[in-house]
Amino acid sequence: MTQAITLRLITRQAGGGEIVRVRRIDWGEALIGRSPEADIHLPDLAVDMEHALLQVTGQGRVTVKTLTGEPFLVDGKTTSHVELEVVRGHVITFGDFNLLLGQGGEGDVAVTILKREEEPPATSASLFSLRATMFGRRKMAWTLGLVILTLCLLAPLISPALVGHARIHPDRQWSSGPLSKAHAFLEKDCQACHAQAFVSVRDQACLACHNAGGDAAKIDARVGREGSPFLPLLISDHAPHDLLLRAMPPPPTVRGRVAGMFETAMNHPSDRCASCHREHAVLPADPAAPKTADILRAGKPALVVVNDCAACHSRLKMRLPSTGLVDTPSWDRHPDFRPLVTVGFDGPQPRLQRVALSAHPQEVNGLTFSHRIHMDPTGGAARQGQVLGAARGYGAALTCQSCHRPDGAGFKPIEMERDCGACHSLAFAEVGGQLKTLRHHDMRNVAGVLRGALPPANPPVADPAVLRRALAPGGLCVDCHTVTPSAGPLGRQIAPVHIPERMLPWGDFNHAVPAHSGVGAGAAACADCHQARTSDRSQDLLIEGVATCRACHGKTEHETTAFAGAQCSECHSYHQPGESPRTGQDRLFTALGLPKGAKPRGLPTF
Amino acid sequence: MAGAHGQTQRRKTSTHESFLRHGGFLFARLSLALCAGAIAVYAYAAFHDRLPQGGGTTLGYTLGALGAILIVWLALLGVRKRAVSDGHYSLKAWVSAHVYLGLSLIVIATLHTGFKFGLNVHTLAYGLMLLVIASGAVGVWAYATLPRALSNNRGDTTRKQMLGEIHDLDEQLLEAAQPLSRPNAEIVRLSLEGTDIGGGFWRRLFGAYGDCANDHAIALVGPALQVASGREATALRKVDQLLRDKAKALGKARRQMHITALLEAWLFVHVPATFALLAALLVHIVSVFLYW
Repeated sequence: MTQAITLRLITRQAGGGEIVRVRRIDWGEALIGRSPEADIHLPDLAVDMEHALLQVTGQGRVTVKTLTGEPFLVDGKTTSHVELEVVRGHVITFGDFNLLLGQGGEGDVAVTILKREEEPPATSASLFSLRATMFGRRKMAWTLGLVILTLCLLAPLISPALVGHARIHPDRQWSSGPLSKAHAFLEKDCQACHAQAFVSVRDQACLACHNAGGDAAKIDARVGREGSPFLPLLISDHAPHDLLLRAMPPPPTVRGRVAGMFETAMNHPSDRCASCHREHAVLPADPAAPKTADILRAGKPALVVVNDCAACHSRLKMRLPSTGLVDTPSWDRHPDFRPLVTVGFDGPQPRLQRVALSAHPQEVNGLTFSHRIHMDPTGGAARQGQVLGAARGYGAALTCQSCHRPDGAGFKPIEMERDCGACHSLAFAEVGGQLKTLRHHDMRNVAGVLRGALPPANPPVADPAVLRRALAPGGLCVDCHTVTPSAGPLGRQIAPVHIPERMLPWGDFNHAVPAHSGVGAGAAACADCHQARTSDRSQDLLIEGVATCRACHGKTEHETTAFAGAQCSECHSYHQPGESPRTGQDRLFTALGLPKGAKPRGLPTF
Repeated sequence: MAGAHGQTQRRKTSTHESFLRHGGFLFARLSLALCAGAIAVYAYAAFHDRLPQGGGTTLGYTLGALGAILIVWLALLGVRKRAVSDGHYSLKAWVSAHVYLGLSLIVIATLHTGFKFGLNVHTLAYGLMLLVIASGAVGVWAYATLPRALSNNRGDTTRKQMLGEIHDLDEQLLEAAQPLSRPNAEIVRLSLEGTDIGGGFWRRLFGAYGDCANDHAIALVGPALQVASGREATALRKVDQLLRDKAKALGKARRQMHITALLEAWLFVHVPATFALLAALLVHIVSVFLYW
């Protein structure tokens, strides 16, 4: 007898609950398909019209086989033909429908037809909103923020502790701009200057490499270790720091005063090296800047003039009553020179005093000398030069250079034997046809012994009688020296001598530049500044006033062919008081003359 | 009289004033004044100082502090908009101030930089700020123009109705396809199972639905119809019509999604870039003072 098949079609309702329809097939086989005529009607487009046939083949046994060749699933496995025992509760799947096999009542094969749960249609309005599958807005926001904090803040903060001397320097990303060429070697060592966290760069950091009062060898070695291709420029204080602070005028504008208060409140004072010398900054080229000034040369930190020279050197006495400086509010009002004059001697030491030229100072230098006689082109000195001849460096009338021998920016100190000895012989006796000559340098020793001022360990080499003659009126020494009475054995003594190398200690006059050495159109020759040809007395101070400088300095090219700048830095350097600033070009020429391998001091530039 | 008065009241309350025009351009004028003031002070400083301007001058610090306060306050809109309130400090006023003061940052922050840029965290913060402002500007444009397009596209239907229509058409398609042979039923399945209404981020943003499964199905129905006959042909014709109806419904819903995406996409830049900016701003400030 063929077993019947009981079909239970379960339909789930939208509001919950199920509707169960039961149907019995007596003939033991059921057609499965989408066709309405199929016994097991599965309205699913994945199912063929007549997809498969289920047949009862024995007690509790069925076969299911495809009619179209399209497979189906049994317990999740694909098959086209299968024989099953219904008691095992197999599940046969066609499209979205599951057929659950089981044992029905009266020995029937029960087939329960269930449609698989389908997802409710997405009808929410939120479907219209834009959503990123990978990264939501919030997730992306936090990620980006944390990545930046980690890479840009935490990494540089912890890196010195973690990586020590690593090649990567994460704190370089904090640099607000490249360093100047002069400091470029410090790019990887931010803490060379930024020594203390949250404290603005202090002068100690700068002076560690630039202090002229420090141990230059140590400084050079330190800078070399840092990788600098040249040695640092060493600088001196312009004046003691407390005096400088008092000399500085208050800012002239309200804005400047507000800025000053702001800077003080922020612990960012404006009297630091870094207040003027700005790193990480590119200062635009200033066409008005003087060509000779060092301040705007390529490769150096930008220079910001907080106070220029005139700002402090105007009404200085009001702010700094103790100063001996005369105000210099501008080049036009530059005070006349106050040369350092030898006004006398304290023992052998010259007593020097700054005296204004307008006071017509007289020098007490211990000499008797007439420039006029020596430079007269038809006089005895000229004749003597001709007699001496070119072989001895003369041959014609004497020139300035016959005695004043150029040496760098100045001259070699006058040496009697070299510069005067060709004419002024120190011979004092003739022995066997040979002249015995006093040695000028020993004369002091001789005189000192004779005065009793020196111990007799160095016995005199000359006969005291000769010396007495030499010191007597009309004697050898009296030609050039001031001789004064003395209680010593000779009865007279030579007054101390002091020939100053520089008379203007705070201004640097370079005799070597072409414009100052008579080379080129309009250039100054010696006689333009020194009225030596008319000077009969050694007491005459042979320098001219500042008006002579103004003949060229401060003039335009329309006024004179020898026009020159009128900036303070032409003669005065802030950091090397008494010298004029050296330019990068000066340093370059110096560097070219250095032996191979030697590092130049300062950045040489054009 | 009373009636006329009532009408006036209604008209007043129904008049829409956009956030751009809020308070008679109050914040626009405030921002312009702020920018003009900043430019004037900067010009004065630049003219009088020989030194280069930048973040390190008194003016630089002032502009920087102002910029930082503005950035933090502007970012707080994200917090403010989640708090419901009314009165004078309305959300509309906040948004209006947000837009105009945000735009003023271009001037304030640029002057703060002193026109000095480089490959560093400082320029990173500046760049991110510009990105935030640019994306915000896109947002302003979107809010000013797109809601009309959105409304025009929608007509009288709601977004729910649009999706419901597609769902209904799917059910009709399933029904109509029942008599079809397997190959033709597969065409309908392609539409039913393969159609993605919205799609992903970029698809919505660019409205790129060239490979829509429903369109493929329509393309396949035509040739199938030529060889079909009888019941199959009748069913296919119905299916063809339903597929075309579905294409229309899909087009409308997708246009709505595309416009919505354009309306919202700027926020995907604006919000993350704001967080990145706040982080970069913190790094900028800390690093400047750490290595002062």
